[in-house]
Formats: sequence, C-alpha cells, structure tokens
Amino acid sequence: MTARAATAPASLAPPAAREPLIRFRAVELTLAGRRILDPISLDIGRGEFVCVVGPSGCGKTTLLRLIAGLYLPSGGQVLYDGKPVSGPRQDIAIVFQDYGKALLPWRTAAGNVSLALEAIGMPRAERPARIAALLATVGLSNHADKFPGQLSGGMQQRLQIARCLAQAPSVLLMDEPFGALDAMTRQALQDEVLALAASSGATVFFVTHDLEEAIYLGDRVVALRPNPGRVADMFDVRLSRPRDQLTTREHPDFLRLRRTLFDFIKESEA
Amino acid sequence: MIWRRALWLAASVLVGLGIVLLWQLAADARLVSPVFLPGPDKAWAALERGFASGELLDKVLGTVGRMVWGWLLASLLGIGLGALIGISPAARAYLGPTLEFLRPLPASAIVPVAIAFLGLSEGMVLVVIGFGALWPMLLATVHGFAAVEPRLYEVSRALGLSRWEVIAKIALPNALPDIFAGLRLGLTVALILAVVGEMLASREGLGLWILLSARAFRAPDLFAGVILLGLIGLVSAALLSSVERYALRWRTPVH
Repeated sequence: MTARAATAPASLAPPAAREPLIRFRAVELTLAGRRILDPISLDIGRGEFVCVVGPSGCGKTTLLRLIAGLYLPSGGQVLYDGKPVSGPRQDIAIVFQDYGKALLPWRTAAGNVSLALEAIGMPRAERPARIAALLATVGLSNHADKFPGQLSGGMQQRLQIARCLAQAPSVLLMDEPFGALDAMTRQALQDEVLALAASSGATVFFVTHDLEEAIYLGDRVVALRPNPGRVADMFDVRLSRPRDQLTTREHPDFLRLRRTLFDFIKESEA
Repeated sequence: MIWRRALWLAASVLVGLGIVLLWQLAADARLVSPVFLPGPDKAWAALERGFASGELLDKVLGTVGRMVWGWLLASLLGIGLGALIGISPAARAYLGPTLEFLRPLPASAIVPVAIAFLGLSEGMVLVVIGFGALWPMLLATVHGFAAVEPRLYEVSRALGLSRWEVIAKIALPNALPDIFAGLRLGLTVALILAVVGEMLASREGLGLWILLSARAFRAPDLFAGVILLGLIGLVSAALLSSVERYALRWRTPVH
C-alpha cells in the first residue's frame, strides 16, 4: 500500500519514483534566537535506511522533527515526495525514545494500537483483527490486555512500534528508540526493526548515539557536527543483508567503518 | 494479601467498637448529663424507633437526594468548565478573574443571595450545594487537563488525531485521577452544605431533624441523626472509591 519505488528498470520508472522521498534543501533552523542548524542539504531515497549519529547537541533529533513536521525550517525547505512539509502527516510515523511518556498509560496494549487505527478512521468492526495482527508482529499477542505500566521497557517500545506500524507509514522516524534498553533487548529489537523495514519497504530515519548500531542497521550513516548542527560526513554501508548480530559485526568492513566513525566522532568532539 | 486486608479491616472494626464501648461506659457513669449525652443504647433505640415509623428513612432520603443532586450539578459544571479552561487559553483569560473572585467566597456567604433570588426553596439549597462543591472539582479538572505530558500532544499530532479526539482520548483520561480527587472532596462539601441548607431553609432532612431534636432536648434522636450522617459519608465515599479503583485500575499494576 506504500508508494514503493518501481521494480522496473530506472529508465522506465516515472520521474517521481527516482526522486528522493525526503529532501533537505539548504534547511536551517533558529529557535528562540539560537542557531540550531546551519544550512543542511540531504537526500533520502525511498526504502532507504538512514542512520544519524553525532555528539549531543548536533541536531540529530532536530532533523527528525523537521521531517516529522513538528518543526518548520527557518530557512530552506524540507520536501516530502516533492512537496514542502507543512506539518505532521499520517504516513510518517515517529517512535520516541521515552516510550513511557509516548504510550497512553490508561489504555491497554490493544487500546494503544487502536488509537492509531481510530486516528485513520478505521471502522470499529475491522479494528480487532488488525490490532491482533500488529501485536503479533511485535510479539505482544499474549499481552494485549495489559496496561503499559505492566510491561517491561522492551515490550513498551515494541508496543510503540506496533502503534506506528498501525499507521501503515511510508516513513518510520526513530529517535534513539533503544537508548534506554539493555543490550540483549536492544539487539533483539534491532533485528526486529530490520525485518519490519525489509518487509514493509518503509523508509527509515534512525537517530542514535550508538555508532555500531548505526552501522549495523543503516544503508548510510550521516554524521553530524555540533554548534550549530551541520552535516560533517556521510558513509555508505555496503554490508550485505540480511544482517546478523555475529557475522555482520565481525565483518572487516564493519570494523573498518567502526574505526572511521570512532575517529571521526573523537575528532569532532575535540 | 487478602488475609492482610481482612486483618486490617478487623482491626479498624475493633477500634470502632472500642469507641462505642467507651461511649457507653462514659454515659453509664454519667460523666455528662444524659440530657446531653445519651448512651449508644439509647441512640440505637432512637434509630430503631425512627426507622420503624418511617420518619427517619424520609429524612435520610431527603438529605442523600439533596447531596447527590447538588454534587452532580457541581460535577457537571466543574468538569465541563474545568475542561474548557484547562484546554483553552482564551477561556482561561476570559473566565479566570471572575472565577478567582468567586472562588474564595464562603458558600455560607452566598446563602442570603440565593435566598433573595430563590426563597427558602429546594432550588436554593441545590444552588448553594452546587456552588460550594463546584470549586474542588473545577480546580482539580483544570489542573488535570493542563498537566498533559507534552509528548502525548506530539504523539497525537503524529497520529493525526482531531482536536476533539485529543480532548476525549488524551486530555480527559489524563485528567481523570485529578477529577476523582475533586469528586471526593466535592462529595464531602455537598454533604455538609446539604445539612446546612436544610437547617437554614427548613427543608425535610437529617439536618433539620438534628436541629429540631436539639431544640427539643431529644438527645437520642439528635445522636441518631449524627450517626446516620456519618454513615452516609462513609458509604458514599466507599462507593465513589470503588468506582475510582475500577476507572483508574491502570494505575495499580498487577503483575
């Protein structure tokens, strides 16, 4: 149902399909007199998995909020599908880091997923089946009637992801989604997100402070520099998919990129 | 868990019985003249007599009815107005000063005003109860509606919820714990003002019953009335608590 790039040869595809899905055109942002972003230009292709890293205060989350339409640029343009972003839209979903605040504590797991379906106006009769399917996707079938307060952190974040999937989004914006989770849960969720992105074909914009996570997940890693935020460098990740927590992370290319990124971050923080 | 609760319940009942026992001993020893302090036995006899004649039941129903209607009136107004003020900065700007002027007025101060307009009528009593019980609900609701986690507003925008959906599905449930706190306070105020209103306007009810019993030196009847008022407070609060426990069950995680 999402507008996927045509599988036909590039020359036959309509121009729109070859256009990047999201374009930053000299986007700059000043909030309350403070310069947050210097002009940034960045293209994100359809179905691409882009990870953004950088020291705190470099504007990672700001970029995400600009795509989401939660911020509007002070200069330049953010284009989505060729049109300027003017506000939030239902085919762009956001997974927030603080799942505890982003879920409705008074609604059960099923109720939280239902909220997204109610928002897109799905008839009441069709919701239960869709909710069950979405909860099954994130492995929460047995917890449908539990309230968020009764779920572990990892389960709450899975629930938030299920709610985002309920929007059937073309773009999934993820703001340090696994930052608050323990290592084992984080790895499990990384693989789940990769599988979801592959099966849905959604474009993913993933903000993280974990360099290895960025390399493991991304097709491309965008590195930002702070004060004010700007794009410092970009790295293509040419590791094969599907990725594997052991073999991918031991691959020489992975290790080489990890070294490059570490050096880069150390240098930009110095 | 259940045993523990049963134990606490038993202990609290025992304390209550102990107080009744002390009361009986004090009355039997005539520490205070029986004209003013009848024993629990006499108060119980007065209760039996009152209910046998059907007279006390009428008074109880009168007071409970007044309390509940006044409380509902205050709740409707308080929650509605509170929601409006909590959500809309414009409403806050328009209504704020007026409400700040009205809020500190004691309910007893508006009784003469209410009497002037409505006479010594049932409506007057309801207005006084409504006025007095309004404030705790209004303030609690305003607070509950204004204290929505900002992240939830962003979630609402990202999901594309309409303004009405945000109010009904985010702000209202978010305010519910505060609203219940207000409802509980309002209930107490409503009972107090129901009694005061009956005494002032001579409306059939426990308040008037107590007043007339005191004037006629019918101390057992007076105590019977006071005991019933206490029971009304106890039962109504317990009912409200059980509704609250169900509505806010998401706050007490059971693993």
